[in-house]
Order: sequence, then structure tokens, then C-alpha cells
Amino acid sequence: MRKITRILRWILILAVACLMLVLPWIAQNRYQVHIANNIGIWLLLSLGLNIAMGYAGQYNLALGALWGVGAYTAALLQTRLGVPFWINLPLSIIAAAVIAAFVGLPSFKVRSHYLALVTIALGEAMNLVLVNEVPITGGADGIGHIQMPNFFGFPINNDERYYYIILIMVILGYVLGRQIVSHRIGRAFRALRDDFQAARAMGVNTGFYQILAFAISGAYAGAAGALYAQLNTYISPDIFTFNSALIVLTMILVGGMGSLPGSIVGTVLLLVLNEYLQVFQRWQLVGYGIAIIVVVLFLPGGVVELARKFGNFRRRWLAGLSKGKSDAEAG
Amino acid sequence: MSVTSIFFQTLIGGIGIGSLYALVALGYSMTFRSMGLVNFAQGSIYMVGTYFGIIWYQGMVMNLHVPYAAAFLIGLLCNALLGIVLERIFRPLAKLDLMLMLLATIGLGFILDNLFTIIFGATGFAVNSPLPNTPWIIFGVRVLPQMALLIGVSFSLMIGNQLFLSRTKWGRAMRASAVDYEIARAMGIPTNRMNALALSIGCMMSAAAGILAAPIVYVSPSMGVAVGLKGFAAAILGGLGSVPGAIAGGLVYGVLEALSAGYISSTWTQAIAYIVMVVVLMVKPSGIVGEITVEKV
Repeated sequence: MRKITRILRWILILAVACLMLVLPWIAQNRYQVHIANNIGIWLLLSLGLNIAMGYAGQYNLALGALWGVGAYTAALLQTRLGVPFWINLPLSIIAAAVIAAFVGLPSFKVRSHYLALVTIALGEAMNLVLVNEVPITGGADGIGHIQMPNFFGFPINNDERYYYIILIMVILGYVLGRQIVSHRIGRAFRALRDDFQAARAMGVNTGFYQILAFAISGAYAGAAGALYAQLNTYISPDIFTFNSALIVLTMILVGGMGSLPGSIVGTVLLLVLNEYLQVFQRWQLVGYGIAIIVVVLFLPGGVVELARKFGNFRRRWLAGLSKGKSDAEAG
Repeated sequence: MSVTSIFFQTLIGGIGIGSLYALVALGYSMTFRSMGLVNFAQGSIYMVGTYFGIIWYQGMVMNLHVPYAAAFLIGLLCNALLGIVLERIFRPLAKLDLMLMLLATIGLGFILDNLFTIIFGATGFAVNSPLPNTPWIIFGVRVLPQMALLIGVSFSLMIGNQLFLSRTKWGRAMRASAVDYEIARAMGIPTNRMNALALSIGCMMSAAAGILAAPIVYVSPSMGVAVGLKGFAAAILGGLGSVPGAIAGGLVYGVLEALSAGYISSTWTQAIAYIVMVVVLMVKPSGIVGEITVEKV
């Protein structure tokens, strides 16, 4: 029985992998690929926030602005200095991670609502820097004419080609996230989240791990930013706000807080639903609000929790079945 | 204009906008102290209350042009009913984790914002002041009558609320159920009804803020976003859950914003206000009033 399940699981993984690989060819139009790219960018954001919030319990609601830091770093390096994608991407990641570490500094002194508010305020202040520092950031008009990357003479100049870069980044991000949460750092994060004092008493360097959690979410946001800037070739500050952080937060909660697959499920679900519900216009957003309340009230663990419950139910059902059979045999 | 009169001019502007923030902050604090819940839909409630009142004044319903004072009362009453409905929605939320609570109230705000955009359209409108638009000049300081009305009515409402909480039997019952839910219940206080009352008061305060400020600001379904965030900041600045704290926090925040706009730079006003808030939180997390209302970690 277990063997079959394992084989089924591998078949499923292979099927998904194949689907992801050929997606640009089977998509009906370029717009669908564009949506897939968008999903990839939001996936990086939600993976990062899930590590910081779901695992380490650090409310990093400056995420929108950190995303902006990544996007602006990449855009400025590229348009002003001509730094190619392969160099500006890691630099954006580093820049966003460093700034995120600074955003995390108040977590030494404040927690829960207060930390949420402090990070919101810092994020909004950073967004105002993007709006107001017109000579550097172009103000509310943003930065245009960003080049798409060029791979040693092979131009990656459309959504289909760019898709593979995003795919690689998302897979890297997921695998790395897996490594982070399932090893030493992940254990420290969970200890930090569940009982701060106990973690401290057990010798966890709480300050270091708090900052690390912020920096990790910042790094993911930085990667998402650099990818976003060079996909859309134009950026403006209006998307790098608290609202974006909220959208990511919703994705994580719908998918499952403290679960990396949850991040994926939530992001894909919300963004795909978003496309199908466009026809309802504003009513769609009302439905979105109602959906949030319903999830919070009846499914606080997110969709992943639902899957886990179903798994438990099935296991019990199977156990009951085999027990019934043995009873029948005994009888 | 002399230096001092410019200063007082800025100060009056700050107090005006500050009393608006204070009323919204009261909404946050009343909800938090009674139900232990941060209601991030408060900004939307402020917007909803404004519409509830102003549509009558502007003749948007059956072309009725109700007098401003009557529209004000209608708005307050409608929002009080909204508060009672909200209490019922929030009751199961109060036991949940902070993040879930936050998200559910944000979801609620989302619903309200978009419903009102569907009904009234995304573009807003300006509201004519019921009072003359020529400013009064008091000791060389120019004060718009509407601003004076905003400050006067806000202060009376805040004082009235404080008296209600401290002097009446209902107020005492509300405070008791805020301090210890279980014991209040055991003493025969209908705690759920008290929570509903607290939420109603909070919603009424937000509606009052919106309707009073409507002739000064622009009325639109997205008007609550910035005010909601600033009201929350004000509530935290004063100490979340504390009623005098909310008032002090709102006024300090408003004055701070006006002073930094007047003296430092108008483009950086908001950023400065945010940074000061962060610093205050770091230095004194219990807020400027110092009443400890939030469980320390």
C-alpha cells in the first residue's frame, strides 16, 4: 500500500514537472505565460514571508517595500550602469536582505501588534523614499526602458523565454527554503516562534535568528523584485506598498501558514482564481473579502490543513477497513 | 504674519486633523479593550460612516437635502447599528491568533470598501461646508469655521465618552467586562451586549470624524485607507486600548504631522510621522500615556 502511494507521488511530481517545463508551449496565448511568470514572482514573495512569519513568527509587513528595493536596485544598476541581469540579480538580493535586516532590528524591542505596526511604518516610509527621491528613483513616474536579460548573446526577450528563468528561481527558492526550514535554522526559527523565552534558555541566539528571518524574507523579496523589474521593463512605486504585503499575507494564510507547500497552493490558487473572476469586476473583490473571513473562521490552517485532515481521515478509514477485515477473519 | 502666528496656525491645523485621528483611534481602542481585537477595518468603518451621513446631506438619496446636523445624527445612528452587527461577526474571531484576526478584519474592510465602490463609484466628490467658508481671525490666526466645528464637536464627543465610561452604570459595566470578561459575566453583566455597545461607540466616533471632516477632505470610497492606518498609529502611540491614550495619541500624531509639514518638508511629512512613531514604539512600547493595557511578552 505504502509503496503504491510512493509511486503515485513520484508520478504526480513528474507530471507536474513536465507540465511546468512545457507550459510555454501548451499555453494558448502569451498572456497565460505572463500570468505564469507573475505567479512565479509572487511565489518567491510568499515563500520568503512564510519562512519569516510562518516559521519564525517575525511579522515582516515591510515586504512590499523590500520587493521595491530589489526591483529598484536591479532597475537602477541596469539602466544607469548597464550591469547585466546575472550580476544585478544577486546584488538586488543582497541589497534587499541587508535592508530587511535593518527593518528587523526593532524586533529586539517590540513584538506582535507592535512589530507589525513598526514594519508597516518602515515599509511605508521606504515607499515614500521611492516616491520622493525623484532624481534617483524617478518619483511616481518610476523607471522605464529596463532591458530584458541577455544570455551570452541569446536574448531572453519575451515571456516564454523569461518563464524558464523564473521557473529556475522558484525551484531554487523552494529547495533552499526546504533546506532552511528543515535543518538547524528551521528548528531555531520554530523555537523562536513557539516560545521565545524557552528558546533563549535553551541557548538559541534569538537576536541572530530574528534578524536572519527578516533577511531571508528580504532576500526572497529582492529576487522577486529583480525578476519583476526585468520582466515588465517598467516599475513605479505604487505596487511596492503595504497592500502588496497584505496580498502575500492572504496567500500564505489561505494556503497554510508555516508550510512551504501552503505558500505555493495559496499563491497559485489566488492568482488563478483572480484571472477567472475578472468578469465579476468589483464583486470579485467583495467575494475575495468574504473568502478570507470564511478561511479564517473555518479553516485557520489554510488549504494545506484541509489536505492534512483529509489524509488523516483516509488513513483512519483504511485502518478501520483492515481492522474490520481482520475482525471478520477472526469471527 | 509673525513667526508665532504661523506656529499657532500650524498648531490649529494639527489639532484639527489630530482630533480626526483621535476619534478614529478611539474606535480602535474601544474595540481592542472590549474584545481584545485589533479591527483593521476601522478605516473602512470611518468611510462607511461618512457616506451614511453625507449622502443625506448631499441629496444623494431621493434628492433629499437633509440639514447637516440631522445628517450627522443619521450617520452616527447607522454606524451604531453597524457596530452591533460587527460585534456578532467578531465574536468568534476574538479567540483566534493575532494574524488570523488581523486578516479577517482586513477582509471585512475589503468587503466594505468594494461594496461602497460598487454602489457609489470609485470617484469621490467634494462636500460643501454647512458653515461659511470665510475664516475667522482669532489673535491673528485664521481658523475655518468647519475646522472649529470639527475640533469643538470632537472634543465634546471625547469628553462625553469619557464621562459615560467613568460616571454611568453602563460605562462601569463596560469597563468591568473589558477588565475581566469572566468575572463580569459572573456578576451578571451581559458582556456580549457591553461589547456591542463598545463597538457601537467606536463606530459612532469614526462616523462623527468622517462627517465632520467631509467638507475639508474629499469623500471617496478609498478615503479610509490612510486615515485607518494613521488612526491605528495614533492608538498605538497613546497605548492601544486606553481611551485617554487614543485621544492624546491622535492629537500628538496630528500636531506632529502638521509641524513637520510646516517646518521641515511637506513631501516628507508622512515619512517623518512614521519614523517618529517607530521611535516612540521602540523607546516606550506602552505608549505615551503609559497605561499598560497590552500583555507584555
